[in-house]
Amino acid sequence: MNVLDYLASGFATALQWHNLLFALIGVLIGTSVGVLPGIGPMSGVALLIPVTATMTGGLPPEAAATSSIILLAGVYYGAMYGGSTTSILLNTPGESSSVVTTLDGYQMAKQGRAGAALSISAIGSFAAGLFALIALIALAQPLSDVAIKFGPADYFSLMLLGLCAVSGLAGKSITKALIMTVTGLLLATIGMDTVSGVARFTFGIPLLYSGLEFLTIAVGLFALGEVFKTILEKDYGAGATSKIGRILPTRKDLKDSAGPIARGSVLGFFIGILPGAGATLASFFSYIVEKKLSKNPSSFGKGNIAGVAAPESANNAASGGAMIPLLTLGIPGSGTTAILMGALIMYNIQPGPLLFEEHPDVAWGLIASMLIGNLLLLVLNMPLVKVFAKVIQTPAKYLIPIIIAISIFGVYAVQAQIFDLMLLLGCGVAGFLLARNDYPLAPLVLGLVLGPMIENNMRRALTTSNGDFMIFLQKPMSLVFLIIAALWIAVPILLKRRGKEVVVNEEG
Amino acid sequence: MNKTFDRYASIVFLLLGIGFMWQSAGISSSAYGSTVGPNIFPFGLGLALVLLSIRLFYEVLKTKSAERQKEQLDYKRFLLIFGAAVLYAFFLEAIGYVIGTFAFLLFAFQTIERGKWLRSVLIAALFSILVYVVFVVLLEGSMPGFPVWLS
Repeated sequence: MNVLDYLASGFATALQWHNLLFALIGVLIGTSVGVLPGIGPMSGVALLIPVTATMTGGLPPEAAATSSIILLAGVYYGAMYGGSTTSILLNTPGESSSVVTTLDGYQMAKQGRAGAALSISAIGSFAAGLFALIALIALAQPLSDVAIKFGPADYFSLMLLGLCAVSGLAGKSITKALIMTVTGLLLATIGMDTVSGVARFTFGIPLLYSGLEFLTIAVGLFALGEVFKTILEKDYGAGATSKIGRILPTRKDLKDSAGPIARGSVLGFFIGILPGAGATLASFFSYIVEKKLSKNPSSFGKGNIAGVAAPESANNAASGGAMIPLLTLGIPGSGTTAILMGALIMYNIQPGPLLFEEHPDVAWGLIASMLIGNLLLLVLNMPLVKVFAKVIQTPAKYLIPIIIAISIFGVYAVQAQIFDLMLLLGCGVAGFLLARNDYPLAPLVLGLVLGPMIENNMRRALTTSNGDFMIFLQKPMSLVFLIIAALWIAVPILLKRRGKEVVVNEEG
Repeated sequence: MNKTFDRYASIVFLLLGIGFMWQSAGISSSAYGSTVGPNIFPFGLGLALVLLSIRLFYEVLKTKSAERQKEQLDYKRFLLIFGAAVLYAFFLEAIGYVIGTFAFLLFAFQTIERGKWLRSVLIAALFSILVYVVFVVLLEGSMPGFPVWLS
């Protein structure tokens, strides 16, 4: 079968009525999550994993995995889109990738052009999603063909590169980011060793033999951490939203934003592929590029529509691009994709080069559903913009306790252990404390997800070399990855030492 | 950068690293057909954590204490809600989902903001019953809905 056949069967999967429904629910929940203050894409996806797990409980395993990943991916890009709504209407970005959008978006809203800004960001997101998808289809197969030739040593170094890239760009201090990565990797070693069957760090407690559940930790750190932060900082109120006005953009708006959307899509996609760089960097870069290219740079920051179109397309394209390393190499480049990967692993589906061979339904079904999801986003969001603007007004008084209740329900539904609930609450406190003191959480989750794979590949490589660590330097591919990994950590440090401002990525 | 927190954190991570190294010394150092045992990976990571936490400690020493504007954190509400969540989670199996969730939500709603009892009661009841009906009755998930002595 060639790519088009696979894609066609992917569409057949994605167009099954229940998968359409899942995509619709995902996009709707995602947009609401993006719009609601206090829950970002990462905590939204983490919170919904247990909910989807119960919803898909009646399906056979592979179909269940497809359906839930379709829903979760819908949440992911829905949330990316929803974040822009608050940037434009409230001047408060829903997540860090839409920070740039506030610059021109809120100005447009003040001038009574909020509707045009919202619809341009919907159109830009759609165009970018479409571009990312086509590129994903074109690149997925060749990349996984290359990746399949990797030996364990190459894989180990590649994953190390992924971790270094995320740590190098996350947060203010690289030391802290690396500490979080190593802690994540260490937490992943708790439980039964998959290679030898030896129990590690369990202290004879039977509950620990299966290891710490990724889901519990992710929901605790992200969702509860943010909720606790809101309670502690008394950050309940949402400001007054601007009037939306006319929704459809004028012909001039469309003409002005066509170029920025195209450039934002391409730029965002390629930045999204890089591990560690993500939607935030993509939106920053595309804004800067537009400002440089513009004939009238001083109009930026005063409601120039290009300043909304470019970053919004870029951050959506980046979330599409981030799917490439996840699906073809099995390496998530950001916190949110790490959580998606954790969800796939929960269903016993290992993302990576073999994904396209072993589970074509899952891989191509997801790709096709991304197209459908993007279409749904466009169709839904233009008329529903006013409804989502109302969602912003949800009183935090009711929202916050309900998020706690959903977290507890979700974790119990999947794990059915009081121990996990206690761990969940503990992780919530830890998540709040760590995030407050600039310890980035995404590297920890990434370490937790990648830990077992890194260890297995390392031990397999060392077994073939009889315990000689030089194997990682002797294999050419592995050496290249290790050099890039070292540079990724070293270059930002050097730049910082020379007093340069380094753009950091705080998105997940 | 909060110096006190970072200093304590570096010590905690240091102890964590040493603990993992110490414990992994007790794990067998070889596996069937391989000279590489299940101990080497956690041992190496523990070492890395120790080195990183020492580096963090030095970084904290070097940085000048940036005066952080003191925000007043709302500990009272947080502790009340957190305590309620712990009790709710701990007794979930004993008192059942519906009653537990209802009580927790009502308490938390009223802790954040007093008043509007009718709305609070309605929302709490609606949420707990809805989740129970959808999850346990329709999807047949396993969740103790009501305490044993009630059903």
